Amino acid sequence: MIFSFETWQITLFSLSVGFASTLLILPFGIGLAWLFARKEWPLKSVLETIVLLPLVMPPVSTGLILLKIFGRRSSLGTWLYERGIEIVFNWKGVLIAMAVMSFPLLVRSVRTSFSEVNPRLEQIAATLGASGLRIFFVITIPLAYKGIVAGALLAFSRALGEFGATILLAGNIPGETQTLSLAIYNFVQLGKDPEAYTLLGITVALAFLFVWCSEWLLRTGKKA
Amino acid sequence: MLLRCQIPLANFELNIDVTFDTRVTAIFGPSGSGKTTLLDAIAGLRKIAAGEIEIDGKTLFSSARRINLRPQQRGIGYVPQEGALFPHLSVRKTILFGATRDGHAGNKGLTVDHVVDILEIGDLLNRPVTKLSGGEAQRVALARAILSQPGLLLLDEPLAALDIGLKERILPYLGRVRDEFKIPMIYVTHNLTEVLTLADWVLMIQHGKLVAQGVPKETFRSANTILQLPNEEFENVFTVSFAESNREAGTTRVRLASGGELLIPYVQRQADVSFQIRVSADDILVATERPMGISAGNVLSGAVHRIESLDGEAMLTVLAGEEFLVRLTASAVMRLSLMENTPVYLIIKTRSFRVL
Repeated sequence: MIFSFETWQITLFSLSVGFASTLLILPFGIGLAWLFARKEWPLKSVLETIVLLPLVMPPVSTGLILLKIFGRRSSLGTWLYERGIEIVFNWKGVLIAMAVMSFPLLVRSVRTSFSEVNPRLEQIAATLGASGLRIFFVITIPLAYKGIVAGALLAFSRALGEFGATILLAGNIPGETQTLSLAIYNFVQLGKDPEAYTLLGITVALAFLFVWCSEWLLRTGKKA
Repeated sequence: MLLRCQIPLANFELNIDVTFDTRVTAIFGPSGSGKTTLLDAIAGLRKIAAGEIEIDGKTLFSSARRINLRPQQRGIGYVPQEGALFPHLSVRKTILFGATRDGHAGNKGLTVDHVVDILEIGDLLNRPVTKLSGGEAQRVALARAILSQPGLLLLDEPLAALDIGLKERILPYLGRVRDEFKIPMIYVTHNLTEVLTLADWVLMIQHGKLVAQGVPKETFRSANTILQLPNEEFENVFTVSFAESNREAGTTRVRLASGGELLIPYVQRQADVSFQIRVSADDILVATERPMGISAGNVLSGAVHRIESLDGEAMLTVLAGEEFLVRLTASAVMRLSLMENTPVYLIIKTRSFRVL
């Protein structure tokens, strides 16, 4: 089958849901990272820890929590179901699982790049009459953009590799919720080694590309 | 301007209460005395525990009346010590960054071309700010602040990061900014020369407290300020008018306000244009008899007006048309038996004068 329709379908599905999840978390991630880097408030560290939790918790545990939150027996799940939105066991579940699991990586990376922007530049911009929004979009974001892109790439790679939370929230339904990682697992279970190796090659190539780009951006970002 | 503020700092409290009304005010004091904090407070970049800041009748901050204008609303141009240029913008975009702000009354004649011209940054406009030398970066930071049409300009040791040669070159630009744009300035420095050449009022700050204020020359003359700063060069600054210059002789004759004349190194100026010159208090010789056959271009006769001594050093005030400050060792004062009203000759090499 080497590059069969199925392989392409799985790869394309993973890439597009991963891309969508990264787009989804980008505005929240950037906003939260900016708050973490620039503002102080009581119990800030508690929120910081909660955001980082999915990074260290077993993904399956995170998946179980998500299942409890979005499952049809939960109040949020019921509320969404009554409005025709079902998260569990379809592509939306994959999206949510990927988003939650990759969010901490995005926030951490973007937060670091915001911290590296000299706050003095923002202060001086304020004395020159620039509003908070103008400072953010004309000074802060352009100076931190490499870290933001690098963070987004990292998040995207993490999303593509997602397994534990996805399988709990979305299941492993071929043609519907099966991502690259889930498909590899599936093929290995079924003894379909050539298929598994093809997908393995794709995942390694993609991961290499994204991490390499992200590291390159961070390196050149430091020099500037 | 009314400036009253209390700001707790790590080791002491900044506690200033002063009213002043002058074109260029210098805030002078040693490092770590709270000078930058004070500028930040005026610009609205730092919290003030209690106090009041008022400029031209406009209240920027008042803890009693619960007024605290945001930096954007204060109309203050700030040139921080490190320049703080936006590293991703070109020089042109940088200096125009604040130019969208509504101008303050009185600064309407201030155009981009004029500012670019005065600071001589026309050739730099298309360069990224990361490709500027230290002196260029300071001029660009100045242009950016001026073009935001501020009602007050804050300068935080704008020359501190530059080497001596560059300082000599940038100082005249600051003089031009003062004379051309007529924007009131607060100038933070720990360099006497800068205060004497640029400021017409000085606030001396130590450990967060105002210890003296006044016209710079008079304020510095008190022995306990000058002689406490042994490593400082104390300079005599004079405003002179151009008389004539001779390129071959390498000299220029200038006229002092008192009518006397001095010989300084060759510069070309238009007749009767006035400018500033300075000479260090350490570069003036004192003689009790008129010296003969010496190379120095200036021999002025006068009399000792005052002698202040401390720790083996003496600061003489000599009246020779103008007031000259001369720093000698205590030994020299004894050898020449100098006292008040002793007639003396001041000997100053032509090349000891610096032109601003």
